[in-house]
Amino acid sequence: MRRLASHLVVVIGAILVSSALAQTRDPVEAMKSFADFQSVNLDRLLSGEILVERGGLMDFPSGICGQTCFAVPLSAEETAKRLQVWDPTPHADLQVYAFHELPVPCGPADFQKLDFRSSSYSIRWLLEKSAATTGSKSDLNVSRDEAAALAACLQRRTDPPLATRCWAALLGNRAARFQQDGVDGALPYEVGPGGHISPIHLLSNMISEQTPIAHEFFPLLKKIGLIGRPAPPLLTPFYYWSFFDADHHGTISLGAVYLLAQDGRYLVADVEYYVSDQYFTSATLCEIWPIQAGGKPAALVWRGDYFSAPVLAFTKGTERIAYGALMMQDIKRETHDFQTDQGMK
Amino acid sequence: MMTTQATAGTRRALLVSLALLLVSGTAAVAADSMSVSQELDTEYYYVAGAHTRGAGDVDENAADVRYVVSPQVTNNLLLRIGAEWQRYDFGVSEHAPVPDLLQEATLVLGFDYQFADQWIMRAEVQPGVYSDFRDTGWNDVDAPLTLAAVYLRNADLQWFLGLYVDVRSEYPVLPFAGVRWKYSDQWTLNLVLPNPRLEFEVTDGLLLYFGMDVSDGTYRMGNTFGSDRGEPKLNGAIVDFLEFRFGPGCSWRVIPNVTIEAEAGLMPFRSLDYFDANQESRSYDAPYGQIAVHARF
Repeated sequence: MRRLASHLVVVIGAILVSSALAQTRDPVEAMKSFADFQSVNLDRLLSGEILVERGGLMDFPSGICGQTCFAVPLSAEETAKRLQVWDPTPHADLQVYAFHELPVPCGPADFQKLDFRSSSYSIRWLLEKSAATTGSKSDLNVSRDEAAALAACLQRRTDPPLATRCWAALLGNRAARFQQDGVDGALPYEVGPGGHISPIHLLSNMISEQTPIAHEFFPLLKKIGLIGRPAPPLLTPFYYWSFFDADHHGTISLGAVYLLAQDGRYLVADVEYYVSDQYFTSATLCEIWPIQAGGKPAALVWRGDYFSAPVLAFTKGTERIAYGALMMQDIKRETHDFQTDQGMK
Repeated sequence: MMTTQATAGTRRALLVSLALLLVSGTAAVAADSMSVSQELDTEYYYVAGAHTRGAGDVDENAADVRYVVSPQVTNNLLLRIGAEWQRYDFGVSEHAPVPDLLQEATLVLGFDYQFADQWIMRAEVQPGVYSDFRDTGWNDVDAPLTLAAVYLRNADLQWFLGLYVDVRSEYPVLPFAGVRWKYSDQWTLNLVLPNPRLEFEVTDGLLLYFGMDVSDGTYRMGNTFGSDRGEPKLNGAIVDFLEFRFGPGCSWRVIPNVTIEAEAGLMPFRSLDYFDANQESRSYDAPYGQIAVHARF
């Protein structure tokens, strides 16, 4: 056991050294060392081009991934900070109904803006699926206790204010546990479409499978606890909840965005530790390097998205390629909206 | 003639390329089940007696079974290898200029390739026997080619473009276009051949639709087909078969990767066109019923 531990220390040390060495290189070269983009033209990125690369097949059926590369006309530090707290709600094309920061500690009162009073099909869909939830069966991602609590609270009614109260209790409890215990506090899904699912284990497996990226983000992933035990000092993330349309279905998510400054570069991880339906979980990793644009500070951003959804287990072949291509289009649109908010022409 | 030679050359080149890809790709394909996908499509329909000049009322039984396996060779390339059997049985008197059987037994060889962020193309050739299965020989062998591309505008809107090439048909090259547009939360305009439809999503697994089915193909008749019917000019004739069916239906996703469809409606028009002999048999207005099962695994 001690030998294994010493090997692990050596491996981790080697990874950290290689990561440190990578920082001495040009940002584009540093990115090429782990990313799929082998041809990067900074001038074109600075004029607004967004590079996208759909990821390959993963080792487990429900996972899909992709990479993006773009530039922002702000310093790397400022870009990282804005990525951490970016609010997508002003962009109607992203169909985000609500996005709110969660205080620490949080509770049910912090979800009172979750509004089900709408004639929108997707919001009604979530309302109806919530009302149809029983103690042992649901189309939503909930634990057994949450299913029972939701069923007892709603009693099959589709009353929007009541749904807000019931969901606020569920989300408040989930978010509080995550704030208290980190990834260990992320509750599993037990009665939903995927059976027993741990969103954190899914994320950990997806990212670990991408070895060069897991190495690149090791310092941050280790602090979060997505690789190994969380390493102190722990980071204080930006906690949020959001309510949005995912493939014409209302979806609520809880997330935490972590930021780590490391040798002049910035690592960001947005972890969705709870998603109500349509997919299980997602993580967005970003690495931001300082660059110059016409004598002014700018930032080069690499972004990796990892996404797990039940439908993917039955989506193979060309349909899966199309699914991945469409996912990358969505990410490209979101990235473009973020760039626009930062003053990119 | 140049078209025929060029198409035959293209087909040979495509077959050789596919064979090479298959050989090199087999080693590259991981044992992981996600790298190989399979499609199984089966369909049966019955059209009641349709008035046909010179043949009385002609009814029809049709069945189709298609199986394709798609190993993923690279991140952007999938091969398509499979087989299809399709059969049309017509209930006719012995002397009517309508075959009692049209049938095809073919291989499916092709590939899907993502050649840009939002574009995926398909090339598929179906070499096999297309005939009435009388006096079957090399003359009954054909290899129609389908070239198609889809532009993925977003999750709700996709455009389709393509060409169908069959050198034995009266119309050897047929371009086609289509669109799939989910224009509201529950309504989708799915105008893609051979089954353009307007779809309404009742629940996550149940779809109602109203649409059209197009069945077509080019077949070679037997050497005595015409003589048996008192029309020797139809011996060994090439016939273009075309049929439209309109009707409502429902599609039920029984389990995530298996869908059952059932529909019924009107077959307004069917044509058997012996274009070389300048003779055509047309049928009109008969009810039909159809069932299909689609599996993806």
